[in-house]
Amino acid sequence: IMSLHRLAFRLRPTVIQVRSLHSSGYVQQQEAVAVEPEPESVSVFRTHEKDPACHSDKHVGQFYTLSSAHMKTFNETCIMVRQPALEVISYLKKADYSQPALRYVFYGVKGTGKTMSLCHTVHFCYTQGWLVLHVPDAHLWVKNCKELLPSSYKSSRFDQPLEATTWLRNFKITNEHFLPRIKLKERYVWTKRESTEAGSSLGELVDQGISRVKSSSDVVGAVMKELRLQSGQPGSDFRLAVAVDGVNALWGRSTIKKEDKTTVDPEELTLVYNLRKLMKNDWSGGAIVTTLSQTGSLYCPKSAYLPQDLLGERGFDSMDPFIPVSVPNYSEKEFESCYLYYMDRNWLQHPQSRTEEGKKELIFLCNMNPSMFERLCGYL
Amino acid sequence: MAASISGLLKPWTPRVLLVRWSRYNPYYLEPEVRKEAYSRPESELSAEEKEERELKKLRPIKAATNSTTSSVFNDPVLSKFINMMMEHGQKTLAREIMMQTLENIKRKQVEKYHKATEGQKDGIECNPYVIFHQALENCKPVVALASIQKGGKYYQVPIPLTGHRRRFLAMKWMITECRENKHRRTHMYEKLSQELLAAFEKEGNVIKKKHELHKMAEANRAYAHYRWW
Repeated sequence: IMSLHRLAFRLRPTVIQVRSLHSSGYVQQQEAVAVEPEPESVSVFRTHEKDPACHSDKHVGQFYTLSSAHMKTFNETCIMVRQPALEVISYLKKADYSQPALRYVFYGVKGTGKTMSLCHTVHFCYTQGWLVLHVPDAHLWVKNCKELLPSSYKSSRFDQPLEATTWLRNFKITNEHFLPRIKLKERYVWTKRESTEAGSSLGELVDQGISRVKSSSDVVGAVMKELRLQSGQPGSDFRLAVAVDGVNALWGRSTIKKEDKTTVDPEELTLVYNLRKLMKNDWSGGAIVTTLSQTGSLYCPKSAYLPQDLLGERGFDSMDPFIPVSVPNYSEKEFESCYLYYMDRNWLQHPQSRTEEGKKELIFLCNMNPSMFERLCGYL
Repeated sequence: MAASISGLLKPWTPRVLLVRWSRYNPYYLEPEVRKEAYSRPESELSAEEKEERELKKLRPIKAATNSTTSSVFNDPVLSKFINMMMEHGQKTLAREIMMQTLENIKRKQVEKYHKATEGQKDGIECNPYVIFHQALENCKPVVALASIQKGGKYYQVPIPLTGHRRRFLAMKWMITECRENKHRRTHMYEKLSQELLAAFEKEGNVIKKKHELHKMAEANRAYAHYRWW
């Protein structure tokens, strides 16, 4: 995905595009058939397998197309099938869902494709019909907060209505068909006059949060609590996938300041507090897939990429035990495939970049790092 | 360019000062940066080239600047343009802007290409380098006016330009136009990409400026014989 490979400050708009991609693409995918058997010759770098469930080792290094119609610049969206994502997908297929949820953490140096592996895994979960709770970037919740309200539920905590409403809107679009099916087990009281009864659907709760901006963070907490309680029960027919990008933000520091200029600890934010409760593996019937990210993180040195360094002591203790999955740079086959893809899409325009010499120079300059390669090809 | 300050003229002051001249002795030769020039075997060289190589073994050579590379992607015109855009010595920023401009142009053209029908696809040029060079070519003026004094009055006389002067004028106009005449809140790379694409199609303000200069030169054609060089 051309525009989705961007880094750092570009990662925000990148991931937001992933959200809108999901929202437009997934509604159509409901009707799409999984595999299209096309007898024509398959090019080396592309595969016709559109279903992530059928991706296996022989598809490593190939691009598969998401069937959503429109995407800027290339008129299509392609993700490369890579080893770390395949590993996690195979674990997800074989896991026992009556046991407590397993935690998978993608880690790696900057720009190796952790977010894209997460997207691939989320796509797989979606095609299998799971309920996906996707947080595009947890770092956004601990920095640059425009509005901070003291929480109505507990006086020591703080609410972030803007971030909560954006998240609820995205949640609604991604999980449209789940919302009327899941019924709440408890009664939630918002104000003296408004309350949501037990037995009403999740859709009503989410609408309540979107319309009443002031209580949206509490609604987010309620949604997470309900899903956590219901996913392991023998009566429930869905599996819960929690996908968080930049999970080290939950245990790091934040740059938000209170009115008396003291820093707010992430624990005092309702959104972060509730998400941390979800991260604990005391519920069953689903999986937690996360990514570490240094690019959006606060007060972390640039060279830190291992889970121990980025999560810190508190984070590591609460995430322990987890399954770490390392995401390396491109192998030669993957690089070759990416290069051919760019050639096919007419992206490498410089006449010299199409020669052998130019290719060797590109390899040298980017050192097989996916994001560096993309940035280089941007202007070549 | 020579600068003469006739006001401060003392007998010992040189009339022409070295303002933007190179400090190198003319004895020094230019460095050869391209890799291909060195990989050619002995047999392919003509007599002159062999002489040049012999000369290079004996004469001292100037140091290469920071921005010259032996990379296959090196482009002297592009480097010149980046140098002209640079302010306060911030080469990284100027280069970044230029790269974003090229990418912006490529993105727009590739999007148009993928959306176009089969017949139109051939007409769309996607290579940002080709667009950049063609746009600069389209902006280069052929003649310019010089102020020449004759009989107490100053006349605007059309004069021919060297290749370097034309290139300089095209680049200068492009950069000033983008800096001044566009909306304040747009980024430089956005403004530049719009202007370059317009110049490629022979529209836009810079082309208009070139045409006006040509018209003025045509109008003052009668004074052309005032030029003595």
